[in-house]
Amino acid sequence: MRQAIGLLAAGLILAMLPLVGLPAFYESFLYLVFHWVALATSWSLLSGYAGYFSFGHGAFFGAGMYTVATLTAGLGAPFLAALPVAAVVATLLSLGIGAVVFRVKRLRGELFGLLTLAITFVLATIVLNTRLDGGPGVYLSNVPLPRLVASPTGTFYLLALGLAVLTLAAAYTITSSRLGLGLFAIHDDEDVAEVEGVPTFAYKLVAFALSAGIAGVAGGIHAMYVSYLTVPDTFSITVPLYVVLMSVLGGARHWLGPAVGAALITASLYAFTGGQQAILGRAVVAFVLILIVLLLPEGLVPAVLRRARGQRGRTADVAVAPILAAAGARTEAPATLDCRDVWRAFGGIQALRGVSLSVAPGEIVALVGPNGSGKTTLINVISGHHAADRGRVELGAATLTGRPAHEIAGLGVSRTYQIPRPFAHFSALDNVALAATFGSARCAPAEARAEARAWLEFTGLGRRAAALPHELNLHERKFLELARALAGRPRVILLDEVLSGLNPGEIASAVHLIRQIRERGVAILFVEHLMRAVLELSDRVVVLNEGEVIAAGGPREAMRAARVIEVYLGKAHVA
Amino acid sequence: MLLEVRRLAIAYGDAPAVWDATLEVDAGEVVSVIGPNGAGKSTLVNTIAGLHRARSGELRFAGLDLGAVAPHLVCRHGIALVPEGRRLFARMSVEENLDIGCYRGEARRARRETLDRVYHLFPILSERRRQAAGSLSGGQQQMAAIGRALMARPRLLLLDEPSLGLAPAVVDHMFEIIRAIHAEGVTILLVEQNVVRALEIADRAYVLEEGRVVAGGAPAVLREQTRIQEAYLGLRDGGGPS
Amino acid sequence: MPSLTLLGQSVVSGLLAGGLYALLALGLSLSWGLLRLVNLSHFALALLGAYLTYQLGHAFHLAPWLAAGLIVPAFFALGVVLHVVFARFRVTEFTSLLVTFGLAVILESLIQWFWTADYRRYETPWASASIRVGPLFVPTLELLACLTAATLAVATWAWLRFTYVGKALRAPAEDPAMAGAFGVNHRAHAFVLSGISAAYAGVAGAFIALISTLAPAQIWAWLGTVFAVVIIGGLGNPVGALLAGFLIGVSESVTMAVAAPAWAPLVSFSILIGLLVLRPERV
Repeated sequence: MRQAIGLLAAGLILAMLPLVGLPAFYESFLYLVFHWVALATSWSLLSGYAGYFSFGHGAFFGAGMYTVATLTAGLGAPFLAALPVAAVVATLLSLGIGAVVFRVKRLRGELFGLLTLAITFVLATIVLNTRLDGGPGVYLSNVPLPRLVASPTGTFYLLALGLAVLTLAAAYTITSSRLGLGLFAIHDDEDVAEVEGVPTFAYKLVAFALSAGIAGVAGGIHAMYVSYLTVPDTFSITVPLYVVLMSVLGGARHWLGPAVGAALITASLYAFTGGQQAILGRAVVAFVLILIVLLLPEGLVPAVLRRARGQRGRTADVAVAPILAAAGARTEAPATLDCRDVWRAFGGIQALRGVSLSVAPGEIVALVGPNGSGKTTLINVISGHHAADRGRVELGAATLTGRPAHEIAGLGVSRTYQIPRPFAHFSALDNVALAATFGSARCAPAEARAEARAWLEFTGLGRRAAALPHELNLHERKFLELARALAGRPRVILLDEVLSGLNPGEIASAVHLIRQIRERGVAILFVEHLMRAVLELSDRVVVLNEGEVIAAGGPREAMRAARVIEVYLGKAHVA
Repeated sequence: MLLEVRRLAIAYGDAPAVWDATLEVDAGEVVSVIGPNGAGKSTLVNTIAGLHRARSGELRFAGLDLGAVAPHLVCRHGIALVPEGRRLFARMSVEENLDIGCYRGEARRARRETLDRVYHLFPILSERRRQAAGSLSGGQQQMAAIGRALMARPRLLLLDEPSLGLAPAVVDHMFEIIRAIHAEGVTILLVEQNVVRALEIADRAYVLEEGRVVAGGAPAVLREQTRIQEAYLGLRDGGGPS
Repeated sequence: MPSLTLLGQSVVSGLLAGGLYALLALGLSLSWGLLRLVNLSHFALALLGAYLTYQLGHAFHLAPWLAAGLIVPAFFALGVVLHVVFARFRVTEFTSLLVTFGLAVILESLIQWFWTADYRRYETPWASASIRVGPLFVPTLELLACLTAATLAVATWAWLRFTYVGKALRAPAEDPAMAGAFGVNHRAHAFVLSGISAAYAGVAGAFIALISTLAPAQIWAWLGTVFAVVIIGGLGNPVGALLAGFLIGVSESVTMAVAAPAWAPLVSFSILIGLLVLRPERV
């Protein structure tokens, strides 16, 4: 909150400056600073927060420039009216791209970067060859500029300042909202984010659209500023390059990071003005980028903040909501998990052959079987990571098959992973809070952190709330995984080898925890190899082999079944 | 003693996989390591092959301390691995995979001879020699993986779960081949989930459970022990869990 | 509709241009396919090679092949040094994109510092030489570039395919640990590969100097096309890069003849976009 007020105050003060009589030189310089602050911050909304590095910010910027140019110089529309249209055009462009590209799972990382770069070139070619530009460029010198203050430079100053403040406000709001939380989770592990309930496709589109819209407006303003547009200058590598540089330098994950980077780089480039010096300036800036990427990959702002605060992650100074009190409040009606005749194949391999099983509320069912028998595949199908080829999975009255994973999470299904997959940049508390925010509990951010605190206490990790995952040992990470699974207030928990790698003492606490979870009416399906634990904990055992259920029943009977002994030990032991 | 493992401890990052493994393999023997899933068998075998570094303990091959040898130089001393899940180079052809097997100097010189032997053992590989390794069936891939290891003319062959995912008839064939390889003088350390096969073929066996070697000896003796039933099924005679 | 001769001529120009694209793409395809590192500075390096060829010819009157003889080994060393940095900082596929982006800008600035943004042309008597094939003209220098590209592509392909070292270079791209288990020292090989990739950039540069007019901005102009060639031809596949180069060169050139010249870049980018969206698993 303090930060928001600080931002507004700074904005107001800066807005006063032209009225007080700032020399035109400074107005121009600050125009450029604000211009880049808006561009870099808008870029990081998707690329910094969610990790989808776009090299195509220039496309949206250029789209905005040419929209304004066409509307004002070509069609005589007033400048200020053209700006929102520029935003809309850029946004539509991004939505078109995003709708196609975000559905393709493999198009992440450097491929997304290349694709966006290619799109920029295509757009540039189209603009160059159509009446939008056609070659000679577009002149805006005859377009009247509305005077917000006496001087034209002052007007641009104010327009850019307004955009920059709006952009920063948007960035700040996003980083403290559900959208931001979801985007940061997508950055760390998109598949897990989806399974925890984050609507990844929708969130990526929103961030992309917002970032494009802002770039479009920045372009529109800049069109008037330069007053003569050419395709090579508009669609050059400058915009894509600089926004990456500024964000990476300042810290792409922090709302103020790109702004700091923008200010620093614009200032240093200004210092190297004219001819040879400008070239040197660019080289120095690029060198700094390399250093930052290699040595300080998080950027300046987070590094400085960490030094200043002397602590890592965010600590929760919220009251610990007692577990028992929170217990009754928001638990949804318990339901039975029912898998009916589920089939799933990968390429030529039939991983699941008509698997049917059910888990009632408060029941613990163990899923066992040799390597490769399909246990993890079944969990992946139930949680929505894979679709079932045939068959249904139901939870109470709701059908799970056919829904995207985040909806399934919302209906009350949680899972843990064999090898823990926490969000690497989130503290333990935030990892759990995410699940509370997006799971079936649907908490508001403040509530979510109280909830997270409680679950961390429950799993014994209360003291480690502020730690980052890489600082936790295996046992702690497994229990973090458990806390995260519980925070969504699920009706069904799917545990995938939660005990592997733990020593006997840790196993005992895990078993104790699982019993307590059972007491709250949650249905538990757990995959395990440790037979002692299976026999101790489970009410029923289902044995899988090569994708089929070969035995089911009470633990002792199932494990004694002839077929099971045969599968595990070979024929000679069946006696 | 060809291979000596003493009190080996291996971890993945901070997750311990093997706590205290002690076993030995003499030249010319077939030794099986059995145990339930997650016991650490693959980790142990991968460490012997040089894919992984042990945290503590001793690992000696023909007297040489393997812990001091760089990973890519381990095979030079005569150890070849047939890893769990085959791990063939899918986009390269079968023959190219075999060629990687004999990459090291000595083996390369004997390439023609070894290749003939491998194709003799596995005629199907000869038929499909130019096909991409990834397009073979599971059983064929297993044969290719064994063939690749044989191309290295090893003194010690490490086999990690060769029967995994294969139909029983194919598994029969596989174990016949392993016998044939042994008959040619190759020492074998076999890791298997399939207890019956593993004990049938072995001169001696060890039981690995939760990262520790808990039993060892002649197969006949081990078979009688209820230790095996406990480890795999969790059942003790008399019914209660431990 | 243009005449048959014009079409034929544009096919020829397309093939020759494609050869040059392939020459540029070769090094990139190798390093991306086998080392799994994206080197955006590859073009900048090639252009630097071009400028150096120009300079050595212009100031020291060194014939281009002699200049190449100096440049190519020097670039090999540069490639090795680059990989030393990558290995030291454990650079990932994605980080390499950013770092080489920065490197490309530094190289561009270097070029502009020494040679300014003015256009440079390597004056050579062979510039206008061409062979007559029926009604078609085949410019000699470009033909030479094309033949060099083809030779290098086929030689590299054969080397990767038939020699032990070649197989040892391809295996770690799929499973480095298993390759190591059979004696492949892929860490050492990576340095050599990086050097070779840079050396190829040097060769491409020498031809660029002879054929094109030089300007610093060209670094970015060729970027999209060459990436398209690499991806369409398949990462790590030299002959694929050659064929893809021809494909793109011809489609661009025919588009230029049939429609307006400025539409040409659209072709390669559209193919690239289509491929990335429809067949991302190729990469």
